[in-house]
Amino acid sequence: MAYGFMLPAAILVAGLMYWPMIDTFRESLYATTFLNPNPTFIGLKTYEQLFGDSTFWQIVRNSIIWTIGVVFLQNVGGFLIALLLNQKLPGQGILRSLILLPWVLPGVVAAILWRFMYDPQLGLINSFFMRLGIVEHGVGWLAEPSTAMAAVIFAAFWKGFPFSTVVFLAALQNVDQEQVEAAKIDGAGSLRRLFDVVIPAIWPVAVVNVLLTTILTFNYFDIIYVLTRGGPLNATAIFPTRIYEVGFGQFKFGEAAAYGSLSVLVLVLFVGLLLLVQRRQVKAA
Amino acid sequence: MASRGKSLIGKVPLVILQLAIAFLVLAPFFWMLSVSLKPANEPFAIPARLWPDNPTLENYILAFRPEFRRYFLNSIIVSGATVLITVPLALLAAYSLTRYQFRILSVFLAAVILAQFFPAGAMIIPIYKMVKAANLLDTYASLIIAYITVTLPVAIWMLRGFLTRVPKTLEEAAAIDGARPLRAFFDIVIPLARPGIVATTVFVLIVTWQEFLFALSFTSTKEMRTLPVGMNDYIGQYGIRYGELMASSVMVSLPVIVIFFFLQRQFVSGLTAGAVKG
Repeated sequence: MAYGFMLPAAILVAGLMYWPMIDTFRESLYATTFLNPNPTFIGLKTYEQLFGDSTFWQIVRNSIIWTIGVVFLQNVGGFLIALLLNQKLPGQGILRSLILLPWVLPGVVAAILWRFMYDPQLGLINSFFMRLGIVEHGVGWLAEPSTAMAAVIFAAFWKGFPFSTVVFLAALQNVDQEQVEAAKIDGAGSLRRLFDVVIPAIWPVAVVNVLLTTILTFNYFDIIYVLTRGGPLNATAIFPTRIYEVGFGQFKFGEAAAYGSLSVLVLVLFVGLLLLVQRRQVKAA
Repeated sequence: MASRGKSLIGKVPLVILQLAIAFLVLAPFFWMLSVSLKPANEPFAIPARLWPDNPTLENYILAFRPEFRRYFLNSIIVSGATVLITVPLALLAAYSLTRYQFRILSVFLAAVILAQFFPAGAMIIPIYKMVKAANLLDTYASLIIAYITVTLPVAIWMLRGFLTRVPKTLEEAAAIDGARPLRAFFDIVIPLARPGIVATTVFVLIVTWQEFLFALSFTSTKEMRTLPVGMNDYIGQYGIRYGELMASSVMVSLPVIVIFFFLQRQFVSGLTAGAVKG
């Protein structure tokens, strides 16, 4: 009976997740173009082309900057906010509910909202900066290659931090208060208690959180696609947006699939590196 | 709590920080609402005016046009069907994971959790080709099947967390009393796991309501597009009619926000139970 219960889920996950992952690699060995929709086998040629293509390396670099930026802000910011929400203060109950709003908001809507916030003429951000006299004319945050990446990272942080905060908050509430009190009696200041007792206690949760947000951010499509379509000049193009553009914009399924396979490779290397660094740190401590 | 015994004055900086966070979270929502209530004839001042002089609902009436209603209906059908299929399937899978100790089941669980992290971008081309080969492009079925697949792993994982906490002894007692296993499942397990079922349902709903990549790839006609894709189309289409764009944004977000706030407590505990307790 156990197998019977499991079967439908197993078939779907195997057929629609594991098989496509393998099939992506097979697909990447074939060339399909808009003019020639019949796939022709070309082996690893697409990969060779990609490795020699500066756009590909730009995508790799962007993906890493984007992921590190969002994950850093989401986790460090999310943790600091969780610390604040864990204090005994008036209005905490309401604030704890309110901060979840961005996370519940559909990604496309969040992106539309931020497109509008960043708008050179009508955006709230420019309006705010102009009132303060920091800028004279509206800045096209999303239109400038130099600011576009920072702008999409911030929007993604805004959308995603509640998740980290909620998880950190739950972890903070599970911290053994006796240990905190003991440290207090030993004369440890609040910063000392934070680093010696609280952070070690929640470290395992932090590791899971960082891994989770890394993977989700690396694969996140909605915000960048709606905010910039990966532009200007590929300044914010990451793997998922590039795959969509190459596959469904240019109908080069083979190349899109190669990007797909490589995105898995980059993600695995990236997560592996993260785990390695984490293990080193635990040993060093 | 770290701040115990601190004087009220010592708390002032923290309260200011609280307000800053509330501002960060709410400012975009405020802006969305403000613009959605702005009458079309009230010109956009530069720098922009914070609240319209004569707030009106006319943008909402204009934005609630037939095609928007169609997107809305499509989203309800697709999300609703996904929830109705995913949650029972996940419940069965999670139940067998917690009640039977076969090696293959733990392998399966690991495989399911791993699948949760597969990049949708990496799978989209083969899945698109499958959907096309099955003649399912521009159908509800294609989206529902895709959504069931992507939400199943998390749903199984969440429900498993809840079911582990339903003591097995209750079912054993029922079995001694002569209840059949299936009966025990419906009469004992399901009622006790209800908070978990609610949390999982909300989660699946939030995920499918906003899913974008599959919907964008699988649908091409206006009749079949879901709200997120329709909203994305609006960006160019609406030109400078931001009021309508923001009004539709409010209408898209409202259902999930309302559901979420009603069921928030259960949902948050469901989400964090797995992450915090491992």
